[in-house]
Amino acid sequence: MVPMRRHYKKAPERQDNPVNTRIYLMYVVIGICMVALLCGLAYRQLIQQESFAAAAERQNYRRILMPGPRGIIYDRKGRVLVGNRPLFSAVVYLNELRTEFREEYFNLVRRQRDLGLNPDRYAMNIEARRNVVMRYMNRLNSLLEEEFTVDSTDIERHFSQSLLLPFPLITDLSPEDYAILIEQVPIDSPIQIISGNARWYPYGEAAAHTLGFVSDSTEFPEGTLPGETLLTFRNEAQVGRSGLEKSFNNHLQGTTGGEIWSVDPGGFQHERVVHEVPSKGQDLTISLDIDIQQAAEAAMGTKTGAVVAIEIETGEVLALVSKPAYDLNDTAPYISFEVDREIREKGAWLNRAIQGLYPPGSTFKLVTAMASLRAGAVDENTIVYCPGYFQVGRRRFHCHRRSGHGEENLIGAIRDSCNVFFYDRGTEIGVWAIANEARRFHLDRKTGIELPAETGRMLVPDPEWKAARFYGEGWFEGDTANMAIGQGFLLLTPLQMATFASSLARGVEFLQPTLLHDAGEAEVDNPISLRPEQMALVREGMRQAGERGTARLAGNPNMPVAGKTGTAQVRKDGRPTTLAWFVGYAPVQNPRIAVAVMVEGVPEEETNYGGGSTAAPIAKSVFQQYLGM
Amino acid sequence: MPRKLTHQTKSLLLVAFLLLIWWFTPVFFKRWTNIAFHEFQAPAWTGLSYLRDLRSYWVLRSYRKSELIEAGVEMSRLNAAYMLRNQQADFLDREIERLEAFYEMPSYEQFHYEVARVVRRDLTAWWQQLVIRKGVNYGIKTGQAVVFSGGVVGRVSSVGAYTSTVELISSPHFRAAAHIEGDERPVEFRGGDNPGLLPATGHVSTVPADIIATLKEPVRLTSSRLGGVFPDGLTLGWIYSLDPSPDGLFQTGKVMLDPRLKHVREVAVLIPFEPRPGAEEQ
Repeated sequence: MVPMRRHYKKAPERQDNPVNTRIYLMYVVIGICMVALLCGLAYRQLIQQESFAAAAERQNYRRILMPGPRGIIYDRKGRVLVGNRPLFSAVVYLNELRTEFREEYFNLVRRQRDLGLNPDRYAMNIEARRNVVMRYMNRLNSLLEEEFTVDSTDIERHFSQSLLLPFPLITDLSPEDYAILIEQVPIDSPIQIISGNARWYPYGEAAAHTLGFVSDSTEFPEGTLPGETLLTFRNEAQVGRSGLEKSFNNHLQGTTGGEIWSVDPGGFQHERVVHEVPSKGQDLTISLDIDIQQAAEAAMGTKTGAVVAIEIETGEVLALVSKPAYDLNDTAPYISFEVDREIREKGAWLNRAIQGLYPPGSTFKLVTAMASLRAGAVDENTIVYCPGYFQVGRRRFHCHRRSGHGEENLIGAIRDSCNVFFYDRGTEIGVWAIANEARRFHLDRKTGIELPAETGRMLVPDPEWKAARFYGEGWFEGDTANMAIGQGFLLLTPLQMATFASSLARGVEFLQPTLLHDAGEAEVDNPISLRPEQMALVREGMRQAGERGTARLAGNPNMPVAGKTGTAQVRKDGRPTTLAWFVGYAPVQNPRIAVAVMVEGVPEEETNYGGGSTAAPIAKSVFQQYLGM
Repeated sequence: MPRKLTHQTKSLLLVAFLLLIWWFTPVFFKRWTNIAFHEFQAPAWTGLSYLRDLRSYWVLRSYRKSELIEAGVEMSRLNAAYMLRNQQADFLDREIERLEAFYEMPSYEQFHYEVARVVRRDLTAWWQQLVIRKGVNYGIKTGQAVVFSGGVVGRVSSVGAYTSTVELISSPHFRAAAHIEGDERPVEFRGGDNPGLLPATGHVSTVPADIIATLKEPVRLTSSRLGGVFPDGLTLGWIYSLDPSPDGLFQTGKVMLDPRLKHVREVAVLIPFEPRPGAEEQ
């Protein structure tokens, strides 16, 4: 019997075999990856969206800032002291020369290869750019019959830093050159004739130190143009560097405008998307009267020194002269090395009116006089005999009149500028009384006029200062005698002396000088705390000095002046010379203007400048111009 | 189907091929073709212009005798008036020469006028140019000034053998130095966008801020010798209003050009006198 074959039913294939497991695992891995990608996508789209958008914007847009022109500066009568003038320039947009750069580059490379040389591609690029730009420059040269060149360093700097801005070929074209170029350069040429502005000074040297100059800078406020995060190119603005241009830079500075451009991947301009027009800065009316300023400058002539005139009612400075000066037009649009050297050699950068420190000489006797009156050491009956000298210890201090003035009271001593009277009274009241009186009139500090760089190194000495300065050296009576007549260590600026004269005329301890016109009420300190009859002695002394004393050349019978002259002995460049001073006011009865004049002697020329003979006539010109007499 | 498509696109492909060839054609060949094409057309334009003149002639011939006598009398009057003005001009010329000699000033550069008929006008938004019936054969050169009785017409932009093309002052590609009448400071004049039918205008910029122009008192814009092409004082157009620029230094404005520019039939090319040989040494 054939055993019956057992039939086995085929077992079904197992569904959960190892291969399937791996596939599931793969699904999981892919799933995780997909989730990670989705999370990344969501993170970038939802969270980082803003920063990517900003980055894209930064990459695709460029911002160009254009500063507005500066405001005008007028004098008190509305005459333009500083204006703007057109500045025409021939420029080329490197952006439009891309094709030519490339062609020139290939030509150069080919030439190098023809010569069997291995071209330095970087150098070839630089040379290609220079050659192309020089080609355009030569075209201008042929039209203008000039021989300008371009510097490859400038081109490369411009190419890397300011590609969207025009590259200047010739700046400050004359009207004739401007006309030739606009007529003969084709309108669609990469060379463009653009107009800008530069500062213009119709009075040249007048008030140069007060007005100040500007220089080109990219430091200016951004204005309201959007896109602060974009790559920004700044055209150069004019920024005040000295004088009122610096002090009122923010006021005069125009409002910045500009453009936003979309650019291609090479950074070259494609389309302008935003344009905001810049606007002019605010105008400024200052207190100077250009007629008085010019009269003072003319009276100074070629002398070195300073003149300050102040309107007593308002404290407004009518003239502020520092000589030698420089023509402000030479500083615009920029100061060349030659101009800088010339100004430096004649010492004209220094504003002597606010930065020059000088012993005030006999003009300081007015302070000593008031200190003596305050201390009770002098009254209307005080008489001092002047034999021509004053003995302090073993040293003899001379009066300027060696034969002596004889008996002098205070009025006579001021009128005749008698040294002995003030030696005597000064040593009587002591250094502290004199120093404190000077400080009462703010002679130990800056006036606070609206000019930068007013010196703060003025000096009203006292024993403490001397001990600190000279390693404990004591204060001698001779020092007091010297100080009483404005010599010795005392150092003041002409502006301080003008402020002192105006304060004295107004009867206050300090009249704040200002360069702004119509700025409101004059700022004054306390009234001078001397009795009227005491002040009358000082004023009478000044009146007599102006009438028949040392300051008589400052006035005339129709124009009575109250003044005080001074001739200080100084050493300049190691050689002795004099400083001629005048301080005073006019008219005597109703003072309207105060003037201080200081003229430096020139040791090489052995000048013999004196306050009465040199400084007083200069003051007279100023008084006459203001009072019209 | 593909064959049919190929057949249909064959002509387009040919055009594309020709354009491609033109693209790679050397520049000098393109330039030569341009000049050759211009010179080929020029006789036709000139011929047409002569025919127009002939037509005018016959139109005039058709007038009655009485009309001609009347016109002749009118012309005599005009001639007399012009002779008088010529005498005045001669007198002024002599006065100028006398003053130049007195002040030892260099003599004013003189031109001679080459009068030419207009044979063709091309006045569109893109081009604003005239073709005149004189070229190299009359000593005309590129860049020379072209004027008419109303002032400046434009500048010679290209010169052919017997014709020249003049770019009008109304062309957007035209730029020149100019003066406001009575003022010495140069300003910039540009042609405007003139589509053809409207009155031609231009654009003036860098006008000093102190110049005032109003509808009642317009100012005349005149040519400037400073640019080296035009003499002083020829009318470019009139300015009726000026807008200040943001910097306050300049003004800009629209310049109304002479409407006769579009119909001008005869112009004069200003050809500067060549310096005589040895003149400089003297």
